[in-house]
Amino acid sequence: MATAAPAVRRQVTTMSAKRRQEALAGLSFMVPALIIFLIFLIIPIGAAVYISFTDWNGISPVFEEGAYNYIGTANYSDLLRGYHVDGDRVVAASIRQRDFFIALKNTFYYVIGVVPVQTTLALLLAVIVNQRWLKAKGFFRTAFYFPSITSSVVISLIFMFMFTRGGLVNQALASVVPGYGSGNYVNWLDDPRGVLHLIFGQFGLTRESAGAWAGQRVLGLTGWEWISGPSVTLLTIMMLNIWTTIGTMMVIFLAALQDIPGHVYEAAEIDGANAFQIFRRITVPLLRPTIFFVVTLGLIGTFQVFDQVYVISSGGPAKTTLTVAYMVYQNGFDRSAMGLASATAIVLFVIIFVFTILQRVVVRERAAV
Amino acid sequence: MRKVHFLTLAALLALVVSGAGAAFARQTTSLVLMGWSSSPEENNALNRQVEAFMEAYPDIEVEVNLVPDYDTTIQAAFASGDPPDVFYVDSSKLPDWAEAGVLDVGTEKIEDPDGFYQSLVEVFTYNGEFYCPPKDFSTMTLQYNKDMFDAAGLDYPTADWTWDDLRAAAEALTGTNDQGQTVLGLVTPPNFERWLPFLYQAGGSVLNEDWTEVTLDSDEAREALEFYVGLVRDGFAGPPSAVDAGWGGEAFGEGRVAMAMEGNWVITFLLNGYPDLNWGVTELPAHPSGGEATMAFTVCYGVAADSDNQDAAWTLANYLTSEEGARMVAEEGFGVMPPRVALADAWLAARGEEFKPFIDVAEVAHKWQFPVGFGDVIDTFNAGLQLAFEGQALPEDVIFETAAAAEEVLSR
Repeated sequence: MATAAPAVRRQVTTMSAKRRQEALAGLSFMVPALIIFLIFLIIPIGAAVYISFTDWNGISPVFEEGAYNYIGTANYSDLLRGYHVDGDRVVAASIRQRDFFIALKNTFYYVIGVVPVQTTLALLLAVIVNQRWLKAKGFFRTAFYFPSITSSVVISLIFMFMFTRGGLVNQALASVVPGYGSGNYVNWLDDPRGVLHLIFGQFGLTRESAGAWAGQRVLGLTGWEWISGPSVTLLTIMMLNIWTTIGTMMVIFLAALQDIPGHVYEAAEIDGANAFQIFRRITVPLLRPTIFFVVTLGLIGTFQVFDQVYVISSGGPAKTTLTVAYMVYQNGFDRSAMGLASATAIVLFVIIFVFTILQRVVVRERAAV
Repeated sequence: MRKVHFLTLAALLALVVSGAGAAFARQTTSLVLMGWSSSPEENNALNRQVEAFMEAYPDIEVEVNLVPDYDTTIQAAFASGDPPDVFYVDSSKLPDWAEAGVLDVGTEKIEDPDGFYQSLVEVFTYNGEFYCPPKDFSTMTLQYNKDMFDAAGLDYPTADWTWDDLRAAAEALTGTNDQGQTVLGLVTPPNFERWLPFLYQAGGSVLNEDWTEVTLDSDEAREALEFYVGLVRDGFAGPPSAVDAGWGGEAFGEGRVAMAMEGNWVITFLLNGYPDLNWGVTELPAHPSGGEATMAFTVCYGVAADSDNQDAAWTLANYLTSEEGARMVAEEGFGVMPPRVALADAWLAARGEEFKPFIDVAEVAHKWQFPVGFGDVIDTFNAGLQLAFEGQALPEDVIFETAAAAEEVLSR
């Protein structure tokens, strides 16, 4: 024991010297990535935070004297107040506030519609293409993944062809659904009516019959406006997004599915579990971390939806596809208000952050149960 | 090995020195001209203009840079403090860019300003300063499908038409075609700029002369919007999407509408895309009281306030818009019209006499330009108009809300 101790110590010192060297080498390998990370991520984020407290128009040379003024939190209050008080008078929301809450409403419907559907469908597809009995697996996996690797702009343009009023989708529907013809075609790309409003209308609930709450303003919009649901056009963009993102999520699920050891399934089968029980009790619990990952990716991606809106609708018709991310672009480049655009982006970041944390907590609690 | 290195280095050095020497000897100034691309033909004409310029001014070298997504690109170039020397300025962008101080003032530097259409000079005059020489312009007119008018037994529209004639013709021309598709009398895009001529014809306005007061909330405005929306609600007109088209020109070309209100851009679009279409052009109809108006859309050549070679940049901008320089484009007879009165004949000769209405209406054309931040107002109107087309909003409410939005933007 006594003789062995120094030898061990010596070994430790050489290890630590070696380790230091390794650390140095490791660091030097990381430096290029770190520099890129700093220049293209950390500095821009810092700049966005800084600009959000100014009235910079986004045009004047930013490093020149007098290009912008520091205006405190004015941009944030421009966005967030549902009302503002002028003396003792309550003034209704300004355009910017209304637009922000419209964008928020649209974005929420978008997220609530897209994330659960794309996660469920992706899981379903992954389970299907993971089946041993399935033939031409490679073909199906490629086919389902293909939309994800195609440019979203190109896909949006193709969707526009398919969904125009006289396009393929309506023609296909007309040949299947009785009573659906060119006279009552749905105008997929240019219909501002809310889907929930349309459904309520079927049950006789309209703005007029809804009662006083419908006219009540909450955060700049009336109660009736809040419950509109996505417009028909936003619904089209939602379908497009679900279709394009399913592939990526399917691949992630597939990788996780193949990580589940076969003997677990075998044991379940021997115990007499049927296919649904196996899926419910074995597959889903073992996939929990993956589900968390996919839902997080989905949340972040959907909250940031921009390119499809930019290509297909530019926020219209009647602002029903105006999303928060599109509003950032609009304020920065159409409205000469880069400070406001930065503030909008920061608010969007906070929203995504809060939702990711919330979702993490929920998944953890369910895992504990 | 080392010897080879030394030799390469020496060769490189020699190259650099000789290159620098050559550049020093020629004393050239380099300019960057940035714009967007409208069509290959127009790009070629611009390149020819620039080549002629470089021949006339051998000490100035011009690099033409036509970029996609122009507004975003140039805004980033402004913000970085390293903008192109000369660039396109759309009339609607002038207030933003002039306010931001990125445009050099041209009042003293623009040559022969009297030769331009005075309405165009006014468009590019902001706070009393003439900023940039106009490059070209387009006006809105009425296009009509001759075959459809013949089939309905109607006379072709003329410059004497009023709103009532337009409405009656639109009603008569609405129906279905051979394939059972709806055909509308008129295509009415849900855009502020398409409705504005009706407002101006009725004698209304959006803002007062010096942009300090909102004048939109008026009987004239309500009358104009009720007429425009009425055409749609009664089923004689509709937005392009109602007839499966992306924009008015396409709806007209496809034969799904009998009349459209488009600008000069529609000329080459229809001639190239729909060569068999039998169509004509006339002025927009007037208000029953006789009020005439249309819209003009125009672009100028701006010079950057931050340019290192402003003198050379102005030489280029002036050359491109001079009678000599602009003639090269006018004689190609593109859709857009030359900015100088003296070149109207050259354009007509190249383009054809039947397109004269586009030039005739220049006198009654209003500018497409509003104060900084007016996008909020235009969006408010467009959103309201779309709802009004669906019968979900009343024209008077749309006017009220748009006027309120304009008040808010002016008070910012």
